[in-house]
Amino acid sequence: MRNTLVVTVAALLLAPAGLAQAQTPPTKPAPPDVPTQGFADVGARFGSDDGDEARFERYRDLRPGATTLLEWTKNTDRYRFNAAATNIGYRDQRYAAEYYSGKVRFSGVFDSIPLNYFYDANSFWTTDDQGRFTLPADIRLGVQGPTNATNDGSAVGVPCAPGGPPATCNASTAASATANRSIYANTGLFPQTQDIQVRRDIIGGNFRYMRSPAFALTLDASTTSKTGQMPWAASYAFNNANELVLPLDQRNNELRANSEWVNNRGMVRLDYWGSYFTNDIQTLTWDNPIRATDFNNGLLPPNGPYDPSGYSNGNGPALGQAALWPSNNLNSVGSTGMFKFTPRTTVNANLTYTFMRQNESLLPWTLNTSINNPVVLDEFPGLRQLPRASSEAAVNSTNWLVNFSSRELRWVTIQARYRYNDHHNKTPHFDGREYVRFDAVPEEFVDDPATPYLEGFSEYFQIKRHNLDANGTFGLKAFGSVRVGYANERYDREGRGFSDVNENTLRLAYDARLFNYVSVRASLDNGRRRGDGYILSEIDYEEGPAGTQPGLRYFDEADRNRTRSMLVFSANPLDQVGVFLQFTTTRDTFLGDESIPEGREHFGLLSQDINAWAVGVDYSLNDRVQFGVNYGWDKFAATQKSRNANPPPDPTWTDPARNWFLDNTEKVNTVLAYADVLGLMQSKADLRIGYEMNDSDNNFNYYGPRIESLSAAGQFIPLPNVVNDWRRFTVDFKYYVSRAVGLGVGYWYENFDVTDWNTLDADPNNFTGGGPVGFYPSTGTPRIDWLGGLMTGYGNRPYSGGRVFARMLYRF
Amino acid sequence: MKRFGNWAVFLATVMAVASVGISALADPAPGAAPAAAGGAALSAPASAQGSGTPAAPAAGHAAQSGYLGSEACVVCHENYDKTIEATKHGFKGNALAPASKQGCESCHGPGEAHSQDPANVKPIQLDKVAADVANGQCQQCHNRGEHALWDGSQHENRNVKCIDCHSVHSAEGPTLMRAKTQQLTCSRCHQTITNKQQRFSHMPVREGKMTCASCHNVHGSVNVKLLRVGTTVDQSCTSCHTDKRGPFLWEHAPVVDSCTTCHDSHGSNNDRMLQAKLPFLCQRCHVTSRHPPTVYEGFTLQNSGNANKMYGKACANCHQQVHGSNHPNGKFFLR
Repeated sequence: MRNTLVVTVAALLLAPAGLAQAQTPPTKPAPPDVPTQGFADVGARFGSDDGDEARFERYRDLRPGATTLLEWTKNTDRYRFNAAATNIGYRDQRYAAEYYSGKVRFSGVFDSIPLNYFYDANSFWTTDDQGRFTLPADIRLGVQGPTNATNDGSAVGVPCAPGGPPATCNASTAASATANRSIYANTGLFPQTQDIQVRRDIIGGNFRYMRSPAFALTLDASTTSKTGQMPWAASYAFNNANELVLPLDQRNNELRANSEWVNNRGMVRLDYWGSYFTNDIQTLTWDNPIRATDFNNGLLPPNGPYDPSGYSNGNGPALGQAALWPSNNLNSVGSTGMFKFTPRTTVNANLTYTFMRQNESLLPWTLNTSINNPVVLDEFPGLRQLPRASSEAAVNSTNWLVNFSSRELRWVTIQARYRYNDHHNKTPHFDGREYVRFDAVPEEFVDDPATPYLEGFSEYFQIKRHNLDANGTFGLKAFGSVRVGYANERYDREGRGFSDVNENTLRLAYDARLFNYVSVRASLDNGRRRGDGYILSEIDYEEGPAGTQPGLRYFDEADRNRTRSMLVFSANPLDQVGVFLQFTTTRDTFLGDESIPEGREHFGLLSQDINAWAVGVDYSLNDRVQFGVNYGWDKFAATQKSRNANPPPDPTWTDPARNWFLDNTEKVNTVLAYADVLGLMQSKADLRIGYEMNDSDNNFNYYGPRIESLSAAGQFIPLPNVVNDWRRFTVDFKYYVSRAVGLGVGYWYENFDVTDWNTLDADPNNFTGGGPVGFYPSTGTPRIDWLGGLMTGYGNRPYSGGRVFARMLYRF
Repeated sequence: MKRFGNWAVFLATVMAVASVGISALADPAPGAAPAAAGGAALSAPASAQGSGTPAAPAAGHAAQSGYLGSEACVVCHENYDKTIEATKHGFKGNALAPASKQGCESCHGPGEAHSQDPANVKPIQLDKVAADVANGQCQQCHNRGEHALWDGSQHENRNVKCIDCHSVHSAEGPTLMRAKTQQLTCSRCHQTITNKQQRFSHMPVREGKMTCASCHNVHGSVNVKLLRVGTTVDQSCTSCHTDKRGPFLWEHAPVVDSCTTCHDSHGSNNDRMLQAKLPFLCQRCHVTSRHPPTVYEGFTLQNSGNANKMYGKACANCHQQVHGSNHPNGKFFLR
């Protein structure tokens, strides 16, 4: 099947069969089957699908055609060799081979991994596949309007009155945005339908030379290409979302080398890792769908010649440019050592230096002729030329680690670990105080003398991490062991709100194997994280950093109380039966802190609770008949608080009546079930059946004074739940006509239902009343021209599909 | 190869020279065998094994005192030797393999005493002795490469035994794993994590293109969370997602801290394996003025140009370069 019958018949069907979660009862080993050197599983695949075929295939190539699995093994006293090939000729084909002798090992692999986004994408843009996207000029002129040159306000998409002050240049209305897109929808210009899919091709080789049991040298080299397309947002304004089918042409070359010396007391290893990433498409240049010419109202700064609200309403340039991923490289050298003071007391350590570099040329500030002219550049002299020609980005990283483990005393074990990591960004700060937003509007950061940093300069985040983890494990003889632990994690940062964050965690754990058929693992962690040195804590400020509410605390550095617990219980009450129960929970409460100014409120993520259960049972009637089922239930709940406000001194900035909350709760069910009946029909046939299911229900509950006021104004509609339901059924039957020759038939059915307001309505005839699928039923045809957007239609869409695999099996 | 810089050539040369030098100094005396790293009991009574009493290390060949050779073992334990023949443990060409040393007794200790009194003197039974004793037997050879940092690692801390996941005699999966796949092996304790693979937004694990070990080295690592590559979460993720590695001209703080601030790499029912749905994930931090803290709900979605903050890529419809930008105007990740 996918990796043809290997990754489907082997992974899908065999995987459920291996669900056995509990300890497998010890069984007497059976003599190996008749030794085979080769195995061939070849045949045909056919079937049909409906809906979002790309999501059905996702990381696989399920096109009808041949399926292949070939394996060959050669074992001698001198060497061993094995090779395998799967799904030959398809986008997920894989080839691997390994030669292994006592001293030398060679291995190689070629592996293709597709990622299928969407097969029915629509786009009005045409591309040269090198990052340049064009639209017909006449269509763009049609949207722009015939009176654009004088900007009399009559043209669709030009809601800013001629010569009017910026305040009148509001965001385009829903009607105008809809009308804009309707031109594209009704113009007779048909969008091009194309597939969006990317593929990684990995070619790798490994060589290992073991000169003696004490010394080995290993070399790994690989080259990975990533080619194809991906959906890519390329918007001209906050109210004009555009999406392109972006071509990708990337490659990463890697070399790893290490040499290792080992004896019965210690080990020393030297490592090198080099990774060189090259992106052959680093510049995206694309036509503005609502402008054929750069907007120019003939006024002088700050009212023109650009539209000061162009970043919002789309009255910007005809042509935009964005920087895609820059080529970069990483080099790392490290050394690892291990020493046994005694057979039961060990220390190991590692020291690694890593160097990351990126120095690609920078694009110009903008291509917009309404900005690149003397009048505007006199007002914004920083835009005359770039502060530097290339990015000159560099990060050096230092990491060291020490582990100590001692089990000298039978009743107590001591383990300690310290880890230090320094992420040091050495990139020179880039002066972006004057910049161009959305290629449409030149803007300038005004330095605030009250703040200790300069807005507009690039920020680089320096992080020093210190991790200490110490544990004592106390043996309880036949009743297992209890572990008591302490962990400290300290972050010293530059560039974040809190310069220092310190977390202390106490830990209690219990591990046991009881009565030889019960296994219990449990732990309870309690942590307190506190930040220190808030960067504006000594200043009476109105705004927090980056224009945030001063009472906002980013949840990844905010004060936090955390409780985590875990239980893993498994048992074999009978030889044939295994049962298990697993439970994990994490409860995070994010707190305000003393640096929040008096009278201000704490915003951001306030809490999150994660609970997950899994229970299962496996039953083995005998060595040939097994079945089992596993059920998982997850619940994720988070509460966040925000304030819908305009910047100070607007009174809404401090108005609690603008506060709102969101409780986001997601519940997930997972079922995995299997039945294996092997050795049927006089030991000639095997039957395997599998079933997998996952569904989720994601709820969004808003509340707070802002919600009440919106509701009173008739401007609030609760979002419907986002619901997913995925199911897969597999069956595989093999019948061996002789010891060498067999026949196989497999069937695989998969169904995915989704209701998601995120994905656009699919009905092109429902233009005026249409909306997201959360409100209106989907018909399956992608819609690309919803409010303010010109999209590809990529989203979360349902599918169903089935495949039949008929093949011949041959062992030789 | 031309894309590899001088760094690679220089360091590879240094590595090779250093390796040869070290090896010349390091070769053990001919015939020497590694001692039992764990110092496991070799012929002690079962009760003593249970308490993990240390004993003399194994050394020498079958002809040495106390060793009988595998041929003697299989007289009673029939077929056990056959079960390792096709595995690397059974390959005599490898000087580290049990087959090229004392066979069964390489791992189970000398069997002479056991053969004389089978009822009261047991060989080392790895499922019955303490974790460090059992693991010590494996570490006689598996004390390098993948396993070099086992001591002090998270799993070692919890007294996990090698044989909890691996079975030398009755493996079902690759690398002598007990279960048929690596994911099933890990799910024995981490089912609540592996269940996430069934969510619609996931890494290609269930498709067989990745395994848990693609990212994790469960035997110990220099990174956090037993991550296999690099020294931070970011370095681990960007070892494949190299386009996101940067460093960039403009950085986004949580990206530099950890990819997991926004993504759940084990699987999610949100696009791009995000921890929560957009725009709400972004709104957990972005409580500023104007559009970031707007209440994005059904009315907006149906009636406003602001709907484009909710559909498609939501916030990333404009802030596409959220992982970092290399454009001069990239401060807000718009270009």
